[in-house]
Amino acid sequence: MSLLQIKNLSVEFGSDKNPFRAVEGLDLTVDQGEIVGIVGESGSGKSVTMMAMMGLLEGQGRIVADKLQFDGKNLLTISARERRKIVGKDISMIFQDPMTALNPSFTVGYQIMEVLKLHQGLRGAALKARALELMEMVEIPAAASRLSAYPHQLSGGMSQRVAIAMAIACNPKLLIADEPTTALDVTIQAQIMELLVSLQQSQNMALILITHDLAVVAEVAQRLAVMYAGQVAEMGQVPDIFRHPSHPYTEALLKSIPEHSKGAHRLSTLPGIVPGQYDRPSGCLLSPRCPYVQERCRAERPALTAQRQGAVRCHFPLYDKES
Amino acid sequence: MTTVLEARELTRYYDVSQGFLKPAATVKALNGVSFSLQAGKTLAVVGESGCGKSTLARQLTLIEPPTSGSLLLDGVDAAKADRATLKTMRTRVQMVFQNPYASLNPRQKIGDQLAEPLLINTALSAAERQAKVRAMMAKVGLRPEHYYRYPHMFSGGQRQRIAIARAMMLNPRIVIADEPTSALDVSIQAQVLNLFMDLQDEFKTAYVFVSHNLAVVEHVADDVMVMYLGRAVESGSKEQIYSRPLHPYTQALLSATPSIRPEDRHAKIKIVGELPSPLNPPSGCAFHKRCPHAVERCRSEVPPLRPVEGHLVACHRAEEINV
Repeated sequence: MSLLQIKNLSVEFGSDKNPFRAVEGLDLTVDQGEIVGIVGESGSGKSVTMMAMMGLLEGQGRIVADKLQFDGKNLLTISARERRKIVGKDISMIFQDPMTALNPSFTVGYQIMEVLKLHQGLRGAALKARALELMEMVEIPAAASRLSAYPHQLSGGMSQRVAIAMAIACNPKLLIADEPTTALDVTIQAQIMELLVSLQQSQNMALILITHDLAVVAEVAQRLAVMYAGQVAEMGQVPDIFRHPSHPYTEALLKSIPEHSKGAHRLSTLPGIVPGQYDRPSGCLLSPRCPYVQERCRAERPALTAQRQGAVRCHFPLYDKES
Repeated sequence: MTTVLEARELTRYYDVSQGFLKPAATVKALNGVSFSLQAGKTLAVVGESGCGKSTLARQLTLIEPPTSGSLLLDGVDAAKADRATLKTMRTRVQMVFQNPYASLNPRQKIGDQLAEPLLINTALSAAERQAKVRAMMAKVGLRPEHYYRYPHMFSGGQRQRIAIARAMMLNPRIVIADEPTSALDVSIQAQVLNLFMDLQDEFKTAYVFVSHNLAVVEHVADDVMVMYLGRAVESGSKEQIYSRPLHPYTQALLSATPSIRPEDRHAKIKIVGELPSPLNPPSGCAFHKRCPHAVERCRSEVPPLRPVEGHLVACHRAEEINV
């Protein structure tokens, strides 16, 4: 059985009369020890999906799903008390901006120890030893003296390491990394990604990597979900999708990366922008921008249909078994 | 070919207060950078945060004078120019900033913001100004009705188009773009990069393109200068830098950049640590603490920028390590 199962998840914001669907009918499964990438542009619903799962949208968004199950527990019906025992322990998350993810008023040692006190009941010398061990696991130099440092005394890369140390403190089964390296420089990005992957392997965690950087996903993830305007456009194995994208949006995303057009004067682009709340087309959400659009796409929304080892939401997928 | 911009040993030091009664420390943000830029060409300045690339951009736009060194615009030394000459020089260098959300005035209509450079620097009538603004808006892909709108009504990509239009209003010789696409999604980034290329073809503008994204730089640049802690460590044509990087830092940067295609991936060079504090730079070569090839000489002696294999490299061991 999969560690995480999400079936037909929708998240709505705004009033009942005038709702905005940030996520619409999302299906996702994640197995133990697997790295799944979620890719999409701003506003495609990738962060909202994870926040809904973590219960971080309480009072703001309306969450509807057929199934939202983690490790055998139903996250839809679980009480807040039960949820607090899971979140931060079995599921933990690291965020894009490490500078704002840490509390500026407390030392990093205190913040790491807080997690251990709460979830594992550690106290005294054992607590301090474990905090130090975690700081060393995330390769923070001079870890012992850094325990008493405040977040403002650390660089962005070091702060992100502290955030990772907090996230892995209780050996989580699932780690969600929401754009973990976007705010960092390339050499630091490479260090942090290497650290995440090595921790994922040594702890046998599942890792969900949310990013807009396709190249990062191509290098580390096994499976990939491409999101567009709140829906999954395509999902499948990383090599399949990068070699033969099946959804026109995936193809356009890959083509718009400068690396794809080496030597060419112009980059290939997808005209227009992601539809917002008021200009959602009635047919396929990509239809106003899609280069392959046909009559049927404008009239009828495509459903997510199984293909290869994944699925694609398109009436006329680019990759056919026959071809 | 004409040289539009030449920098000779530009330096910029800032005094930083260390606290009450303590002597101020000096940050050498820019420590002797030289280059020349030809009309209609693009020089890319690459480096991580804190390497001095934004300080360099500020120097080039004549926002603040250099501590020492000279800057020649069309052969005229900016330091020796009188006020009237400086004013006309400033119209020839324009800037596009990283964050299109912060660089536009939220309380002014787009049409007025675009007309402002003309109002200040030319004697055109209101009708002529409006005609010029509308022509430029069409060139950057904005619709005529956008003339009366405010910045908050636009997406990030559109705002960056507005910022580019504003920079192009006076038909400058040089545009300094400081990370112009790093706040944008990949598909929007491709649109904006194409716009930069189209405008360069049409107006023969020279670009100084400051970026940390090597994939973007490879697409737009003719020449590349790699900076580390206020100095250029390597500079040469794009082909030279990308096909045969000679400085260990350039090699590390290239290897840290993730790629979609497995065949484009470089062997990962593990570089440890982070950029040292510019308040307390290491002795000798600034990179020696992170460099896998460092020897005793690197700790004591600052390597000069010298020609090796047709491009300029600041490394004592450039020949030895690149056989």
